[in-house]
Amino acid sequence: SGQLYCSLPNPRNVRFESINMKNVLRWSAPEGTGEGVLYKVKYSVYGVGKWIRKPECRNINRTWCDLSSETSDYEEQYYASVKAFLNGMCSDWMETTRFNPLTDTKIDPPMVSVSSTDKSISIILTAPEKWKRSSEGESTSLLQVYPGLQYNVSVLNKKTKKRWWFSISNNTLVVPWLEPETAYCVSAQIYVTTPLLHSGFSKEYCIATLKDETA
Amino acid sequence: GPCRVSMSMTEIRSGFTAIKSNIQARDPIRTLSILSYPDSLHKVKSSDRCCITHHLFNFYVDKVFKHCKTEDSYVNRKISSIANSFLSVKRNLGQCHEQNKCMCGQESTDKFKQILANYEGLNVTSAAIKSLGELDILLDWLEKSR
Repeated sequence: SGQLYCSLPNPRNVRFESINMKNVLRWSAPEGTGEGVLYKVKYSVYGVGKWIRKPECRNINRTWCDLSSETSDYEEQYYASVKAFLNGMCSDWMETTRFNPLTDTKIDPPMVSVSSTDKSISIILTAPEKWKRSSEGESTSLLQVYPGLQYNVSVLNKKTKKRWWFSISNNTLVVPWLEPETAYCVSAQIYVTTPLLHSGFSKEYCIATLKDETA
Repeated sequence: GPCRVSMSMTEIRSGFTAIKSNIQARDPIRTLSILSYPDSLHKVKSSDRCCITHHLFNFYVDKVFKHCKTEDSYVNRKISSIANSFLSVKRNLGQCHEQNKCMCGQESTDKFKQILANYEGLNVTSAAIKSLGELDILLDWLEKSR
């Protein structure tokens, strides 16, 4: 059979990109190769002796491979590797750095729901779920993965532009002594102290306090 | 358990995060783990946790940090700051041990023997660098079991 010469340029920037522990291997095509490059992927659990091929990512022409299922145990750490093929030639295997799902994932902002009375607003925050194999699968909140998870909450009075900041551990917050019939906008961020992780801020959720019936 | 020791986890974590890829890149051996082979630290029973923690802090202070000199002064500074944090925790855990609040059962003794065997299976520098590169395995386990 044809002899494979591994002189093809290597895939570049091979790395895990992880959001809420949806762990996707990504890479850039080898320099100067153009169309027609195919790839195969393997992964390994750190400290365990063997590389495991990913059949669904064999002879693919895309430059990513979802390894969430294979790396779902966040008490383990992983490596992954990619090899490129073109016209009977191949590249070297190019590896990621060691991937620790627990510390190397990014976290989405929390979901925010707000309600109001005449002089207060109530905020309920929901942490994102950890990636799961199928929608029917059991849900795991990132709160269970990171027991020290906290929320930073910003509340803005749209009229006066005055802003308050709160840092809370539980997921509900009532902001009292507000002005009736005034718009307030809420945005929230997830913050884990150790390992050090924080989400971006959610978009703003605005609500108006009600009319003061006693006035 | 009865032995409560405070430690600056955030400081240690940020120190390690700063040098993690540098240190792990110096460890080419994917097929062996000092702390996790053959069994993960997460399999340690809660009753054995204090003893293993005590052993591991001694291990890192006595056998790991001192063999992790690199040519990079920034990395060396981070290593010594982590080592200092470990030193104070090691002392506090030692007091717990002396007051019999950190007892060692057979399982924890066996687990620590395995860790030492994994360490001694490599030359000192490789073993020390690999152990340092596995610090997040230890920190993840410590935080989960807090």
